Amino acid sequence: MSSAALERDPAVQARVVTALAGRGLRIQMRRAQFLIPAFLLPLVLLAVIASGTSAAQNLRGFPDTGAYIGFVVAGTLIQGALLGGITAGISTAADIEGGFFDRLLAAPVHRVSLVLGRVGGTAVLGALQACVFLAVAFAFGARYEGGVVGVAEAVLLASLAAAAAAGLAAAIALRTGSLQLLQNLFPFVFVLLFTAPAFFPRALLQPELQAVADVNPLTFVVEGIRAALHDDPALGDPLTGLLAAAGLAIGATALAVWAMRARMRST
Amino acid sequence: MTGAAYALGVGAALWRRALLEIARVRGGLLPTIIAPIIFLLGTAGQFDRLSDLSDFPTSSYLAWILPLSCLQGAGFAGGAVGANLARDIEQGWFDRLLTSPAPRPLLLLGPVLAAMTRALLPTTVILTAGLVLGVSLTGDLYGLLALYVAAVGFAVVAALWGMTLALWARSQQVGPLIQNGVFLAVFLSTAYTPEVLLQGWLATFAPYNPTTYVLELARQATVAGIEPSWANTWPGLLALAGMGLLWGLVALRLLRRFSR
Repeated sequence: MSSAALERDPAVQARVVTALAGRGLRIQMRRAQFLIPAFLLPLVLLAVIASGTSAAQNLRGFPDTGAYIGFVVAGTLIQGALLGGITAGISTAADIEGGFFDRLLAAPVHRVSLVLGRVGGTAVLGALQACVFLAVAFAFGARYEGGVVGVAEAVLLASLAAAAAAGLAAAIALRTGSLQLLQNLFPFVFVLLFTAPAFFPRALLQPELQAVADVNPLTFVVEGIRAALHDDPALGDPLTGLLAAAGLAIGATALAVWAMRARMRST
Repeated sequence: MTGAAYALGVGAALWRRALLEIARVRGGLLPTIIAPIIFLLGTAGQFDRLSDLSDFPTSSYLAWILPLSCLQGAGFAGGAVGANLARDIEQGWFDRLLTSPAPRPLLLLGPVLAAMTRALLPTTVILTAGLVLGVSLTGDLYGLLALYVAAVGFAVVAALWGMTLALWARSQQVGPLIQNGVFLAVFLSTAYTPEVLLQGWLATFAPYNPTTYVLELARQATVAGIEPSWANTWPGLLALAGMGLLWGLVALRLLRRFSR
């Protein structure tokens, strides 16, 4: 079979995507420098925020979700997804700097498959993170009135958010090829996070931030997760969250594919 | 040339080189300035209503969080020095330095000096942003000086921490770990609320985190409830000295092992 035929064969490309996703996931799980930001840091911040700001429950208008940790865990899911995406971008940049990416380009592999492999692996990572975070929060007092279905919806939304972050980070990595720049982007995760009602109800945010949160797609994702977990429509809408997360994932993946093509043209 | 003059020359050259990174690395300054400013706005916007709680030492949450953002910016500036060392190690440039007759501690001193210098920029820009947004310098000149001492000192600690990790891992991929360390040091403290409002495990842990006292040192500048005084100053200075000594000694030990 010719190279062109291999690139057009969906079965071959599906195997490529699966293999690259598996490789990305293995790298994430094996290296401490990836595991810590993806798993440990969000858990530590969950513990810090749940303990450090729990006095907020005394504020008038704060929704009752049982234990305070049950309210803020939705923000942790999004934070983990974003951090997982950034570490996926760092892996991509490391592959570019280390020359592995050039070897992939020399193989009879469709360019889109290279991007989908990375994004798919991070989506699985996002789902794993979400399960871990929800389990830990449950152990520390969070209760999910939405039951298994609500938890599954939350995991799906987190997974899509991770895919979106991975697509965006991969686009930056492919466009710049700079490992250092990707590492420096790490703090921007918190920018995205704090411009959504990640740890506080939207109604209690500062008015200026509330205006930003109203147009931040992550707002709908985090509120969707919260509503799904607690089976409370007053906290958000899981369907709107799903649409926002899916839109972000598709848009970011398209951006990464465009960056890949731009890279191919310039090298 | 005397030994002291030679050492001074080497230290200054490494300092200059580390400062040149600012111009050379695209986006290198972004996390030290822009991210803490947006973080400042985001956190203040997110948790603004916490200042409505009784026992909160200021009516402005922005004033509470501003010194924390200054420390963050300074910490990132310091941590970047460690990430740069990791790159130098990975690319072989550090091996060339080791073949020079320069005393080993100077190889760390130059970057530390650069971290101190670099920290001034984010601290000043973030502080200015806060003042523009309406925060008052309730601590006057004493408080302002305390804030700068805290920020520059924290950058030194972050630089030594970053260089320790770089010498241990010898890989650029240690970068996020360095920044995570800075994040954790800041957040496992009285970052969001004062000690009296902390609940659960953090209420127990925060008093043992040295950064809690560095934050108190810095907060003398803008938090009305933390008056500028020696009593609010010396614990922060002691904490900075302790952390600096610890990571400095570990970094030197790893450097000696690296040289062998």
